[in-house]
Amino acid sequence: MRKIVIGLEVHCEARSLSKVFSTGKNEYSLEPNSNLSVVDLGFPGIMPVINKEALRKALMMSLALNCEVPEKIIFDRKNYFYPDLPKGYQITQMHKPVGINGYLMINVDGVDKRVDIHDIHLEEDTASLDHFGNYSLIDYNRSGIPLMEVVTEPTMNSVNEALGFLEALRKVFLYCEVSEARSDKGQMRCDVNISLMEENAKEFGTKVEIKNINSFNNVKLALEYEIKRQTEILDNGGKIIQETRRFDVDSLTTISMRNKVEAVDYKYFIEPNIPAIKLDKAWIDEIKASIPKLQFERVNIYMKEYGLSRYDANILVKEKENALYFEKCLTYGINPKSVANWINGVIMGHLNKYELGIRDIYVNEKMLVDLIKAVEDSTISVKQGKEVLYKALTEELVPTEIIKQSNMRQITDDDELRTLVIEIINDNKPMVDKYKSGKNILDFFVGQMMKKTKGQANPSKASQMFKEELDKS
Amino acid sequence: MIEKEKLKSYASKLMFDMKDEEYETLQREFDVILKQMELISLIDGIKDVEPLTFPFELEEAKFREDEVKDVISVDEALFNVKDKLHNQVKVPKVVE
Repeated sequence: MRKIVIGLEVHCEARSLSKVFSTGKNEYSLEPNSNLSVVDLGFPGIMPVINKEALRKALMMSLALNCEVPEKIIFDRKNYFYPDLPKGYQITQMHKPVGINGYLMINVDGVDKRVDIHDIHLEEDTASLDHFGNYSLIDYNRSGIPLMEVVTEPTMNSVNEALGFLEALRKVFLYCEVSEARSDKGQMRCDVNISLMEENAKEFGTKVEIKNINSFNNVKLALEYEIKRQTEILDNGGKIIQETRRFDVDSLTTISMRNKVEAVDYKYFIEPNIPAIKLDKAWIDEIKASIPKLQFERVNIYMKEYGLSRYDANILVKEKENALYFEKCLTYGINPKSVANWINGVIMGHLNKYELGIRDIYVNEKMLVDLIKAVEDSTISVKQGKEVLYKALTEELVPTEIIKQSNMRQITDDDELRTLVIEIINDNKPMVDKYKSGKNILDFFVGQMMKKTKGQANPSKASQMFKEELDKS
Repeated sequence: MIEKEKLKSYASKLMFDMKDEEYETLQREFDVILKQMELISLIDGIKDVEPLTFPFELEEAKFREDEVKDVISVDEALFNVKDKLHNQVKVPKVVE
């Protein structure tokens, strides 16, 4: 068995009002070339000035990914000649980026895994190109949008681990509100490095880089294809060539772009127009304190302290707002497991059905807890509770008001219930005979009770009473 | 002396080319530069010296607040463009 070795380079656009080095607008726009300042077009005489907010977000990600933040950061020029780069170079970070030597804990199929981060740096995005028959069109709107690049060490050993890391990283971006991290808008893009290592080898195999994959599903397909391709070459005694390939969405294969000899020399040097930046320690501390509890940590707390299953915990942390909703519910003093069940059941169903976020619904945390309490103290049954919640969600009503107005209650009074039990037994003599002949038809009687009381009887209590009365006579 | 082939390969990566005699001039110039480098590398402790990028150490970084300003119109942006289509810049097909 050969070992799979995967490293990732993930690009993600930061959310901000203006661009990273210019006052142009950072906005996804359908109108081409409408968000530009002269800096974005690389006009002569322009000077880059750093957007404090973009830098803050990059530093926040660096800290969230447990990176070391250097005292001083510098920017570099990466030179290459291509129409997506009006200046002929991209301002990026090579020598002293916003973070180095970090890690992100992820959980893949129930197993915790530490993915080491080589570095995270802040740079400017390039223009977008569309290719047609014999021409290409350039839209510079994307030029200069703050872009963060997270580079991992080659520490992932399966396709699932790579995908798990991407999902977890996306959550960090979302939880920190650094980016919307939407791959459908091109906000999150990824290069992958993959090699296969012989079982007893001490060194990595020759790696292949696959550039600019624009969705997690394509990362999966590209990796699967590349593992198969490399395995076949090695099985046939061949050698892997170090090269850069691209994923072709039509054929679902990877295609060679250039080999090592043709590799581009980017001639990096320090950007002379941006002086080195000494980072203020107080500012870094402030940024660090603003990082919310992240998904991995929350899942562990939900499991260890609240006794939730990983499955339930994972659903709750999928969106930060859902996790906050859940945690707010707990402040009203309620069993975490039952809140989780109600949120992950009825509420999630409603959110998915109508494509809503949890902040869009009328039923707030207090309302939900009051409803759950009504169920737990047997004022109403679970079934009634669910009906009330559906109604409250779709008609925007307060659940406890629904309970009051529809005179909903659960019959728990023993005398009242027993009277009804005896009535039902007397009305159904043939079924009583069947029961006596050994047929297990207790559910029939409970069903009659629910029908008679319009669901207000406590079914388990009724079932027990039927058994007592039927066995008695 | 630096090989001509090496210079040709750099030129090709930078997307230009020169006449043979220009390469020879460049080779001679490079020779001087490389010799100076060699000389500098002999200085004691040179490896511990950090490269000088900025003439003075700046303690305070100048940042810009996150404000949108001076956004130019589409017409202005495309004013000098020779060939355009649907408000985009049209260039010969470039696919890497």
